[in-house]
Amino acid sequence: MGPRLREDDAERMTSDPIRLTVNGTNHSIAAAPDTPLLYILRNDLELNGPKFGCGLGECGACTVIVDGVAARSCVLPLSACAGRSVTTLEGLGSRERPDPLQAAFVQHQAAQCGYCLNGMIMTAKALLLRNPHPSEQEIKQALRYNLCRCGTHVEILAAVMTAAGHHVARDHTAGGAADATH
Amino acid sequence: MRRTDAADPDMTTTPDAGSLSIIRSTPDDATGSGFDIYIAIDASGQVFAYNGHVDLGTGIRTALTQIVAEELDVALDRVTMVLGDTTKTPNQGPTIASETIQITAVPLRNAAAQARHYLLARAAEQLDQPADSLTIEDGLIRAQSNHSVSYAELVAGGIVRLELRDDVALKDVNSYKLVGRAIPRLEIPAMTTGEMIYVHDVRVPGMLHGRVVRPPYAGVDAGDFVGTSLIAVDERSVADIPGLIAVVHIGDFVGVVTDREENAIRAAAQLKLTWKPTPTLPDLKDIATALRANPSTPRTLRDTGDVDAALANAATPMSRTYVWPYHIHGSIGPSCSVADYTDGGLRVWTGSQNPHNLRADLAKLMALPEAQIDVIRLEAAGCYGRNGADDVSADAALLSRAVGRSVRVQLTREQEHAWDPKGTGQLMEVNGGLDASGHPAAYDFATRYPSNAAPTLALLLTGAVPPVAATLQMGDRTAIPPYDYPAMRVTVHDMAPIVRASWFRGVSALPNSFAHESYIDELATEAGVDPVEYRLRYLKDERAARLVRDVAERAKWEPRPTWTPKEADGDVVRGRGFAYAVYVHGTFPGKAAAWSAWVADVAVNKATGDVAVTHVTVGQDSGLVINPDGVRHQIHGNVIQSTSRALMEEVTFEPSAVASREWGGYPIITFPEVPKIDVVIVERQDQPPLGVGESASVPSAAAIANAIFDATGVRFRELPFTPDRIRAGLLAAEEKAKPASPLKKRRLLAGLATFCTAVVGLIVAASPWRPAIAPITPPDVATYSAATIARGAQLAALGDCAVCHTADGGIVNAGGRALETPFGTVIATNITPDVETGIGAWSFPAFERAMRQGIHRDGRHLYPAFPYNHFAKTSEADLQALYAYLMAQPPVRQTNPETKLPFPLNLRPLLAGWNLLFHSPAAFAADPAKSEVWNRGAYLVEGLGHCRACHTPRNALGAEKASLKLAGGIAEGWTAPPLTALSHAPIPWNEQELFTYLRSGISQFHGVAAGPMAPVVKELSALPDSDIRAMATYLASFNPNAPTHEAQQAMAARLETITSAKPLNASQQGARIYDGACAVCHEPGGPQWFGSRPSLALNSNLHGASPDNLARVIVEGITQPVNGDLGAMPGFAHSLNDQQLTELIRYLRTRFAPDKPAWDGIDTALKAARGTIK
Repeated sequence: MGPRLREDDAERMTSDPIRLTVNGTNHSIAAAPDTPLLYILRNDLELNGPKFGCGLGECGACTVIVDGVAARSCVLPLSACAGRSVTTLEGLGSRERPDPLQAAFVQHQAAQCGYCLNGMIMTAKALLLRNPHPSEQEIKQALRYNLCRCGTHVEILAAVMTAAGHHVARDHTAGGAADATH
Repeated sequence: MRRTDAADPDMTTTPDAGSLSIIRSTPDDATGSGFDIYIAIDASGQVFAYNGHVDLGTGIRTALTQIVAEELDVALDRVTMVLGDTTKTPNQGPTIASETIQITAVPLRNAAAQARHYLLARAAEQLDQPADSLTIEDGLIRAQSNHSVSYAELVAGGIVRLELRDDVALKDVNSYKLVGRAIPRLEIPAMTTGEMIYVHDVRVPGMLHGRVVRPPYAGVDAGDFVGTSLIAVDERSVADIPGLIAVVHIGDFVGVVTDREENAIRAAAQLKLTWKPTPTLPDLKDIATALRANPSTPRTLRDTGDVDAALANAATPMSRTYVWPYHIHGSIGPSCSVADYTDGGLRVWTGSQNPHNLRADLAKLMALPEAQIDVIRLEAAGCYGRNGADDVSADAALLSRAVGRSVRVQLTREQEHAWDPKGTGQLMEVNGGLDASGHPAAYDFATRYPSNAAPTLALLLTGAVPPVAATLQMGDRTAIPPYDYPAMRVTVHDMAPIVRASWFRGVSALPNSFAHESYIDELATEAGVDPVEYRLRYLKDERAARLVRDVAERAKWEPRPTWTPKEADGDVVRGRGFAYAVYVHGTFPGKAAAWSAWVADVAVNKATGDVAVTHVTVGQDSGLVINPDGVRHQIHGNVIQSTSRALMEEVTFEPSAVASREWGGYPIITFPEVPKIDVVIVERQDQPPLGVGESASVPSAAAIANAIFDATGVRFRELPFTPDRIRAGLLAAEEKAKPASPLKKRRLLAGLATFCTAVVGLIVAASPWRPAIAPITPPDVATYSAATIARGAQLAALGDCAVCHTADGGIVNAGGRALETPFGTVIATNITPDVETGIGAWSFPAFERAMRQGIHRDGRHLYPAFPYNHFAKTSEADLQALYAYLMAQPPVRQTNPETKLPFPLNLRPLLAGWNLLFHSPAAFAADPAKSEVWNRGAYLVEGLGHCRACHTPRNALGAEKASLKLAGGIAEGWTAPPLTALSHAPIPWNEQELFTYLRSGISQFHGVAAGPMAPVVKELSALPDSDIRAMATYLASFNPNAPTHEAQQAMAARLETITSAKPLNASQQGARIYDGACAVCHEPGGPQWFGSRPSLALNSNLHGASPDNLARVIVEGITQPVNGDLGAMPGFAHSLNDQQLTELIRYLRTRFAPDKPAWDGIDTALKAARGTIK
């Protein structure tokens, strides 16, 4: 038998490492292929940005960016990330050199407990990557499935609006805006 | 914590270098010494300040830093606040009632002032100047002569401890430089970059991962079954989990410990436990009845005037009942903890808001002295009262002790939802009314509040404390109404909990105020007086009255003495409501926190019942404001969270447990639903600071209810104000107003779906045994060309050999997979070329006979689960290539269990008769009338591809019905849809879509390949485009009137448009679950995520005759997608119960397949789907 066959078969073995890029660094991960990416990022790569919130893709706390698109890492199997490029909150910027979106969150003090913040920033970042100047409505729709329990929505919205180039009053009086007619 | 040493490891200088600390002695009976430190200044001039409370995301750390830095006259960055660590901070009780600033900061402020006075006096001596001539700037004391001395210099060289005094002179508010300023919170930059360390992020070297498995009585913590219900633990059920370290069980406490987190998750899900049945709960759908029936003790808080006489003489008697549902605190991060139990001591990293109480609980649980327990408090997800933080810390301690290593335990979302000590349901009854001149006649208020002790769970589950429900006195918060009623009686019915409960933001004050503030509104309406004006008539507290006036003015409140119907904009009517409250906390009569008042604006859709809170004007009098941004953000948070609670939140229950276990079953507010908020802060810098963490929640529900009344003229006295409740209330009011009209008959939908379960009745006579074909030594694969082997690999993929012949997680083609068939379980064999256990001894003639006739090399008949009736059509050359490939694989020695079907199916010779009846071993014959591509497709589909094996119905003997070729069948419990014109797909397939689907695993007009079809498409990736195209051409020929791509697009747009709105006749519960759990990935036009976004309106499964596939996908998820591009879908087996899933499936069918009848048999489909979960 030729070596080609061994390789083919090896690809299907559970223990074969899966290669992916995280925040610009190549990694080779040996873990069960159905392991959600979140646990690889947190436990193997010690990245604390993405958070466990529900394990069902409902709340968004675990959001990362995969190949330029927001992804809920708690329901994304490692196998689906093979050969892809993953960006976490840590890959966006640092305290010394923050991404403008991170700077806007600090400017508007857009956190209470801060647990949902990773998802808010990463989801908003993915939105800004495909639409640098979204409207207020577009921002709310993009963040609609990111849950915040502290009620920091007003400040978060102000931060994303600022990063999207809108002028926002310092006291956030322009807050949210539900309308009735769903 | 009692300390005997002022040195703190955080200090930058050693104790010998000198320090000044302000302490409070805590005499110990044994040693007579020990103290708590409030402030310590080290020899470098750094200040350490200690508070027993913790920061729950409220910015308390920053506010306390401001207070200390202000009183000490140092810069903010000189101060390090230490919060909650039990070895360092004073025990100031649990962080509750928003009292950190109002109460526990008082000694801290005194200590800072005392340190400043001491240092100033020392400096006066050193500089030889009177103290009052000195100035201080950032810890540098300067004389007018310009000589100076720093705190660091004054502290150096001696260890000074001063006993804290309560009578220190504090700085004049007018000289404040830091307090009152919007200082940015210190930790936010780290939160935005992932550098912030939450308790979830603690890693200890060698740390293991644990998960707990909770008992079936989810959310119930009292009754003799608690701690005594576990019958058996089947440890073999997790024997296959890699890295399993331990299964731990003590009483009803169960946990698993593994090396890696994902293994712990699998082990916890897979562990088989046997539990006793648990008793049913009172019906909590009807909270009023349940609370009236719950035994209680009345406690009269106030009884003034002759209430009974006033009630008897009331001109307009008004008796009202208000109902508050159960709520979940809903931390976004399920609780987590790390424990390290080594050398007889315990260290716990926790997110608890009660670190000192937790340590006492741990001491009890582990039978350790408190001195051997170190509780380290880290930031965690917000908890708003209490969540699972204490529980999980105790869980981690037990698991760490069991394995002798550090263990991290993360609760699941489902555990956090189910076991979170709930904000309790509450019942408020008011008897009162108006006298003849429109004044309130009397106010007889009774409130029923089930208590909320919620002992740490592990104590109950292990039996360390008895599961007896304690009755606390907690229902009295703001039980006294703020209005000066002439005759007033206020009674609290103290009672034990029904389900596990604990304080939740606003505690009983929020429900009590919902009643007080709704009732005064009802009185005003009845009296024909504007509701704000009516309140002011009876509000005797001047600060409150000023706040009410300020907020009304800011909101441009227009007096409305009488209610008039509002002009509708389409179906939408608008209204505004007022409410005022002061949050009173602590033991009755309690302490008042900040005053708060709301004007809420709502829009109500009368057709759908949807309520939107569009704008809130909220005012607060908090006394001295430490940090205006902090106060403003707390107000925003309270407004948004309490709006969420009022509009949509309600725990649902199963007969004996909590049913709401994720965000679909318990939705909370989302961005588009958040109101605009206008904050009015009443300046009171000369008054003591008050708690601001909860006050702005307290008027919420009443303000919204009053606004809904203003919009609709209908009173709602029970939360939440969900669309179904509002619609039902409006309809009932309409019915009442109109003469009776016949009720619409509910449409009865004729259910058609009948499902054939094959009944076995094999009556076959014909017999013969087949001869064995002699074994050979494995062929030398070098005789096959690489091209032949490669071709064989493609054919193996087409035939899905590996799909059936590979066990989950097993070695490819080594067999062992259990295939469920209507006739029993068939175990797939090893088809690697191992001589003993595989097909290594098979010659090509033996292989060919098996493929064409279904006969084993040894002469046995193979069961037709192996589709030799299709494989028979394969050409000789292709079989040769396939043989070459299989023989070229690495041999794997693996013995699999024998297939054991029940009698008479265990008699394999009977299959000869079956073959006689149903099997034609003839090779494929091309149809000369058709194109070459069509014929190629037919060869692939009908032969090795064996599509018919699943997509054709079978007769009672398990044979395909020849007349119904590709008309739909069953595969491993999934419906294999018809591929002919009988297809249920709302958009008919055409050749291009078939090609796209078989190539990529997704068709935008149909959905993704899931279940047994996913591995089929995965395998087909080995085939060239030309073969896939040929298969598509052949399959498309069964549907001659296929639409064009453009026509398909038009159909898709139409289907998505007509299904875009939530239908009013659909299950409302199902709608909520869909919104919280499914819409994120499936709502048309929703946000973009990595992976596919299947449109449910177009999905064939939603339109099928049975709910089988939909049930399977929701229960199991799609965890092994055809390829990474498609993303994945989680399964909801452990998150939603059958009742919730049934309502969800009903909703999906009604909304997305509106022209199809409702499904029968959802329960059967769910049962079958659940049966597949390990």
